[in-house]
Amino acid sequence: MIDLEALTAAVGDLNEDELLRMLNEFVATNPSPEEAQAVVTACQRGMAIVGDLFENGEYFVGDLIFAGELLTQSIDILKPVIGSSNSTTIGKIVLGTVEGDLHDIGKNIFRSMAEAAGFIVYDLGIDVKPQAFVEKVQEVQPDIVGMSGVLTLALESMKNTVEALKKAELKKDVKIIIGGNPVTSDFAQMIGADAATNNAAEGVKICQNWVN
Amino acid sequence: MSDPKSLQQERISLFQNVQDSIIPRRVPIHVRFSIGYVAQFGELDMAEAQWNPQLVEEAADKLCRTIYSDTCPYDGSLRYPSFYRSLESQSFVMSSSGFIQHPEVVGMFPEDYDYLIENPFDCLVERVLPRQYKALDPSDPVKMALRLAISLLGYENDFQTTGNIIRKLTEKYGYGPGVPPTANGFTEAPFDFIADQLRGFKEISLDIRRCPEKLIEVCEALYPILFKKGLPVSPTPYSTVFIPLHMPTFMREKDFARLWWPTFKRMVDEYASLGIHCRLFCEDDWTRYLDYLYELPTNTILMFEYGDPKLIKEKLGKKHIITGLYPVTMLKSSSKEQCLQKAQEMLDILAPGGKFIFALDKPALSINDINLETYCAVTEFVRDNGVYQNAGEISGLEFKQEDYQTAPTTSRKIESKYLNAWAESPELAKLQVFEDKLFQYLIFLLL
Repeated sequence: MIDLEALTAAVGDLNEDELLRMLNEFVATNPSPEEAQAVVTACQRGMAIVGDLFENGEYFVGDLIFAGELLTQSIDILKPVIGSSNSTTIGKIVLGTVEGDLHDIGKNIFRSMAEAAGFIVYDLGIDVKPQAFVEKVQEVQPDIVGMSGVLTLALESMKNTVEALKKAELKKDVKIIIGGNPVTSDFAQMIGADAATNNAAEGVKICQNWVN
Repeated sequence: MSDPKSLQQERISLFQNVQDSIIPRRVPIHVRFSIGYVAQFGELDMAEAQWNPQLVEEAADKLCRTIYSDTCPYDGSLRYPSFYRSLESQSFVMSSSGFIQHPEVVGMFPEDYDYLIENPFDCLVERVLPRQYKALDPSDPVKMALRLAISLLGYENDFQTTGNIIRKLTEKYGYGPGVPPTANGFTEAPFDFIADQLRGFKEISLDIRRCPEKLIEVCEALYPILFKKGLPVSPTPYSTVFIPLHMPTFMREKDFARLWWPTFKRMVDEYASLGIHCRLFCEDDWTRYLDYLYELPTNTILMFEYGDPKLIKEKLGKKHIITGLYPVTMLKSSSKEQCLQKAQEMLDILAPGGKFIFALDKPALSINDINLETYCAVTEFVRDNGVYQNAGEISGLEFKQEDYQTAPTTSRKIESKYLNAWAESPELAKLQVFEDKLFQYLIFLLL
């Protein structure tokens, strides 16, 4: 049986070779979906350690990106044995870089970490118009809308997107988080968003609190 | 107000004093607005203005009459659509807002590492440029040749147009002109060059853990190319090489110390050995790397974005020239009084002892980013209150070129089947000048 604590530690240490070796050996034993679920949970615990180390200043953005890559590889290995169970899903997020802004590194880090925490993320990409957010929210009825942007001009687009959601009477059904270099809590309050962060790990924690 | 010529002389001495380790009469003020801001200020269509940079002249002139600065407040742009669009750039594209931006792109794959190490220039022109610029498709050589020519004409034209506007305004209003364009340079740290348009931010973050040894070798291989890219054609004692610093704050210190710093440090030292200073934009918050910055040659110009001004002044203020740090966001979100108070605080901390140029932490991109009236009040406040009582005294450490003579370059020559040794034959030497220009352009496309 796989050592779940060692697995959690391998994720936390970002030890790629060790992690992939353990997961490949585990999958080769033809485990049950429940056993696979326990392994997914252990990986998620490892990602939470990564988030904590980031907040403590021991890991930096480059390490979060590497952690996201490890997680994608891990899920690919585990897919055949997880089955169709979606018991890991804790909520849905519609995510995008707002209109006029083409930067997506921060958004992608947040997506990896949110997925690692058990969210289903619908990523609309970059330069996303307010109407595209509205349509996706109508379609998938998420718990949370995440808007990202690096340039100061993104602030105007975030405001427009919140207004579009209000106009479509969708604002009351979702929490809105905004992220990126120029955002502040004051600005979030001003435009009617529920939270702001420039720290992906913190952003995921805020989202977890909302759905718990 | 004095006439433009004497005003200009005064401003020249403000900046030269700072670079010469002398306390100037007062703190020099460096205001810069990009073409996007100036187009909006003049109520012009932003895309149109970038396609035709001549259009902004009137707006730029009006801006000069609006805000106080010791340098021309219009700064043009590094990124015009004429050359990026004609080359079908993947890495610089205009978004729906009209701003040219740099999306995350990958121009080099892991399997290219060995070739890049072995033949760096060949790898860049054969593989990386065609991936980032779809019009440079080797399977369509005629289109490739024509588009490269069109883009180069666009590049020369638009920079010349912008240069002419800035020169005109500089003379009209008596701004500090700085040095001629051929006396300045622009390049990147070898590691940042790889991280930027070669591997991209995501892939480089993986490579740092997966193949650090290759990264060390690639930095070495690219060093001569990037050193040459930054080297001014006709340097003067006031020449600077501008290097924006991207990756360090996203890295662990041990990776930074091993992978990022060594070739960068050598580059700055090697410029210093030629009497050339570097002007570094320390993007993000460099607090944890201040001790490294101290090691750079005396009077390196350090533009900071974030960080504690007090700590920065304490650690670096006697050796280096500090600029930046005034939060552009305050000019939007805070009252005029608060902004003036902040300016006073910056002067109290950063001005004593000289080696300080007043500037924002980053320029305003669009018209909504700042309250221009507040910004005007701030620069006038600095002009009137940033006056030194001990002007003419020595300011901190002095730069001595000979201190850096001991760092002879160990880097290899740039060798490539595409580069010619024209200079070796007197009748063809003129071609070397043109090839060097083309070299500058090709590497610029990857910065």
